[in-house]
Amino acid sequence: MNRVVINADLGQQKISRHLYGHFAEHLGRCIYEGLWVGPNSDIPNTRGFRNDVVAALKKLNIPNLRWPGGCFADTYHWTDGIGPYEKRPSIVNIHWGGCTENNHCGTHEFLDLCEQLETMPYIAGNVGSGTVKEMAEWLEYITMPADSPMANLRRANGRQDPWPLTFWGVGNENWGCGGNMRPQYYADLYRQYASYCRQFTPGQKLYKVACGFLDEWNDVLMREAANYMDGLSVHYYTVIGPWDKKGSATDFTVDEWKLTMQRAQSVDNFLRRTSGIMDRYDPTGRVGIVLDEWGTWFDVEPGTNPGFLYQQNTMRDALVAGLSFNVFHRHAKRLHVANIAQTVNVLQAMILTEGSKMVLTPTYHVFEMYKVHQDATLLDTHVESPEYVAAVKPTPNPAQAGVPMSWDATQQISASASRDAAGKMHLSMCNLHHEDAAEVSVEIRGGAAGKVSGRILTAGATNAMNTFEKPDAVKPTTFDAFKLSKTGLTVSLPARSVAVLEIR
Amino acid sequence: MSETLNEALGEPPGKVRDESLCKGCHRSAGANLPEREVQRLLSLYLATHPEERLVDEPTYAARLATCRACPDLQFGGTTCRHCGCLVAVRAKLADKTCPAHQPRWPV
Repeated sequence: MNRVVINADLGQQKISRHLYGHFAEHLGRCIYEGLWVGPNSDIPNTRGFRNDVVAALKKLNIPNLRWPGGCFADTYHWTDGIGPYEKRPSIVNIHWGGCTENNHCGTHEFLDLCEQLETMPYIAGNVGSGTVKEMAEWLEYITMPADSPMANLRRANGRQDPWPLTFWGVGNENWGCGGNMRPQYYADLYRQYASYCRQFTPGQKLYKVACGFLDEWNDVLMREAANYMDGLSVHYYTVIGPWDKKGSATDFTVDEWKLTMQRAQSVDNFLRRTSGIMDRYDPTGRVGIVLDEWGTWFDVEPGTNPGFLYQQNTMRDALVAGLSFNVFHRHAKRLHVANIAQTVNVLQAMILTEGSKMVLTPTYHVFEMYKVHQDATLLDTHVESPEYVAAVKPTPNPAQAGVPMSWDATQQISASASRDAAGKMHLSMCNLHHEDAAEVSVEIRGGAAGKVSGRILTAGATNAMNTFEKPDAVKPTTFDAFKLSKTGLTVSLPARSVAVLEIR
Repeated sequence: MSETLNEALGEPPGKVRDESLCKGCHRSAGANLPEREVQRLLSLYLATHPEERLVDEPTYAARLATCRACPDLQFGGTTCRHCGCLVAVRAKLADKTCPAHQPRWPV
């Protein structure tokens, strides 16, 4: 028996649209070739950015876009990426394959992309190999409206007015690739750097993000620096094996499917633990969790360059996305921002490109379907459903992506509901089961279901995917397998499906 | 807290865990692959994809020659910028085409 109870009159917390943020790093073919092809490319573009990719991404209502990393951020020197192309020095991307990049996609270009996408930039500054002066001047360059050395340099490079900027990361994974620091050391560095991180445009606030990690690190950061930060960055990847054998993105067993769901579900545990630590030092919840890297991480596609982290994307990824969002919504009070890793051609991508071709992944479609939850009011939702867990125990592995391994039990059905500004209720549901359909009784308390419509993403196989040869194999369709009842409705969910209902 | 870092890792208190916690970027393969590694990945691909239709040797050689002369070949002559594929693998596959906007392979 599957039962979902929505308390339609118990809603106060807003689901920030920023939980639907994105991440585009200088890694593999995410920036170069995926987003940026340059203004002289044969591929249709607007000032260097692919028209097809930008048009597709605009349909997702991306609220913020994190850049330039990731690990890359703590090697990036922003002044290398401004001015005439021919005068920009190249850079060796030491963390991701040792690739040499020409720096053609720099500050002006990235902020132009944000304007094309109508999204807010989230820039991660360089602590690991940068300086306080370098970071302070980058902010002055971007945000200063008045006469100043950096503002005038910006104008000399063709931009008169400052760009809007809210989110600013002070380093990235400084416990690891961002300098291998100890928490006490980074906490002091954070306080120092943050003191000089200024938003110079009147009326605009800078949301400063400190680098978080695991429990002990987060405890130190919150104790020593909570008063100086607005958000604490943590990362959570759905990885089901050791780093050298993460498993195929497209060829997996039923148990690997289930373990993937369990690992994705366990972000709930991670967010609760992190919230609990933050509560000690910030009981009012002023400081938010910024989950600025999340998603699946599998082995690269066979035959592709292993340094590029290019992986295909199946219905399994779609279920991970839907399940994760349903969890994120429940943490909406403390969770301020989340960023999927990554937008194009890397890890759990929305879009894959090959030359001038483009494919929308199943994950893309979940993001598009779920966008109705952005800035909507979270409605209290209770789910009762059979446990759905793997028969095997996962391979012992001390840590993945910096997070202690946790394999929480999943229920077959995952659900979340919200009410938008127009009064429409949206219920998103995932049937995680690899082969069994599910009848779900949806009970609506404090409200009623009058007119209901829906869309669903499902496919005939767990590893169904979109390819350049068959780009529309997996796409949303109209969903009407539900019946209204006195107390709500009964929904028939196919196996391995993600559905979003609009209830008026 | 309910679980310390060391406990989570199954290690005695005080032992510092370092790189195993990192998500592995520092261990990611270099993009500039040596020829021996390219050949290993080609062999691995062929062994794990027996269903793939392969081109004949003259076609393979012609495709690779085109790739070697192509300005979009990157990372020590191993990788196509348009698709991220190792050209030694992609050129072998009969059902694949040159991924460039203006395809360059003869067949």
